[in-house]
Amino acid sequence: MLLQFFGSLIAIFALAGLAVLLKLGGRPKLSDPNCVALAAGEVVDGFEPVRSSIARDGTAALAKDEADRIMVIKRHGNKFAGRVLTNAASVREEVDALIVDPRETQFGPVRLSLTDAPFWADAINRL
Amino acid sequence: MPEFSPTQYAVPFFVLAILAEMIWSRLRAPEAYEPRDTLVSLAFGLGSTVASALFGGLSVALVLAAYEYRVLDFGEPWWLVWWAWPLAFVLDDLKYYWVHRAGHRIRWMWAAHVNHHSSQHYNLSTALRQTWTGNFTFGLLFALPLVLLGFHPIMIGIVGGFNLIYQFWIHTEAIDKMPRWFEAVMNTPSHHRVHHATNPRYLDRNYAGVFIIWDKMFGTFEPERDDEVIRYGIVKQLGSFNLLWSVFHEWIGMLSDIWRSPWKHKLSYLLREPGWTHDNSRDTSDTIRQRWKERNGQTNTAHEPLVSNRNPIAPPNEAA
Repeated sequence: MLLQFFGSLIAIFALAGLAVLLKLGGRPKLSDPNCVALAAGEVVDGFEPVRSSIARDGTAALAKDEADRIMVIKRHGNKFAGRVLTNAASVREEVDALIVDPRETQFGPVRLSLTDAPFWADAINRL
Repeated sequence: MPEFSPTQYAVPFFVLAILAEMIWSRLRAPEAYEPRDTLVSLAFGLGSTVASALFGGLSVALVLAAYEYRVLDFGEPWWLVWWAWPLAFVLDDLKYYWVHRAGHRIRWMWAAHVNHHSSQHYNLSTALRQTWTGNFTFGLLFALPLVLLGFHPIMIGIVGGFNLIYQFWIHTEAIDKMPRWFEAVMNTPSHHRVHHATNPRYLDRNYAGVFIIWDKMFGTFEPERDDEVIRYGIVKQLGSFNLLWSVFHEWIGMLSDIWRSPWKHKLSYLLREPGWTHDNSRDTSDTIRQRWKERNGQTNTAHEPLVSNRNPIAPPNEAA
């Protein structure tokens, strides 16, 4: 039984390692507002951004819809995941980035290097 | 009495099939796999076997006790009653449909089943995302009618194992559609992609295990469309590769909701559909679909599964 367990464990790491060796996955980037709109619509069906900003490295974005809901989107593996921010969310400005924290431990804070960081910091603080 | 677990024997086949799909993925669709996602999926599979070994004993004891109260006796020894095997397979698949449907429509059951849907990918490794906590739900009750009817619990376990093995190969994007006759009767990669989708059109559809006919019979069938890209996972994607969070997040969410809610709503957080809240602050699959339909102008059209639409007594656009 124990042998079977450790054998399976080795097989698991071998398969995951093979996925790395085969360079499976990839690192998609958000390149334009259409990409953000697509990702936002996948996070919350019907979410249509009226304003969005993409982090310089393309791995995250912020989007706002007509109802003033703000969504933070981050790359998760080779997909995107996001959260609509509530008034529990916090935002912190650093020299070169905005740290947006939806206050969900496992989702974690999202770091975005933005050109219009003050706008988003203000908008999130007003939630 | 036969001691046989078909899933154990199938493990080498699972590994080889994943290997083959990874090579396909390398050549055709590298995005179909993500190493960390694969690692979590496979760890889920291993963990579920450990959980079954640890917590499955009570379930086995319960069904064996229930078997003593069976209404029919198919004869001795039960494993030599040849006709009982295919019959058990079909009836167990019907049972699977209902237990699976409950797994999506009752939050207590969903807390255990959500594991299987928590990946944003759809590949053979996703099939191994099996629950660790199924023994802490009332899913076992769905098997009791079969046991009381006279099917031995071991027979049900064996046919259930074959059912699970069948379901392995349908977790892939490498196969588009099977021949029409096959798609009509059997669960296929196409039908099951719909089941794993979070597109509003596809939410809570295609619960079948082996035979898709159950969905067609009970009104939950939805065919895969070529004009709609499927996105996989759950409505609120986890955004985390933490294995333990993936296993327990819905249990934690549900128990926290029960703890914080007023007394009169506590049971509803256990037994109503995922996403239900007493203050309508969250979405259920029904509200998401309804909103999507309204946005797309689909309300009150022939797309609605109304009895009057299914059984018209006059041709379309004519008064009855």
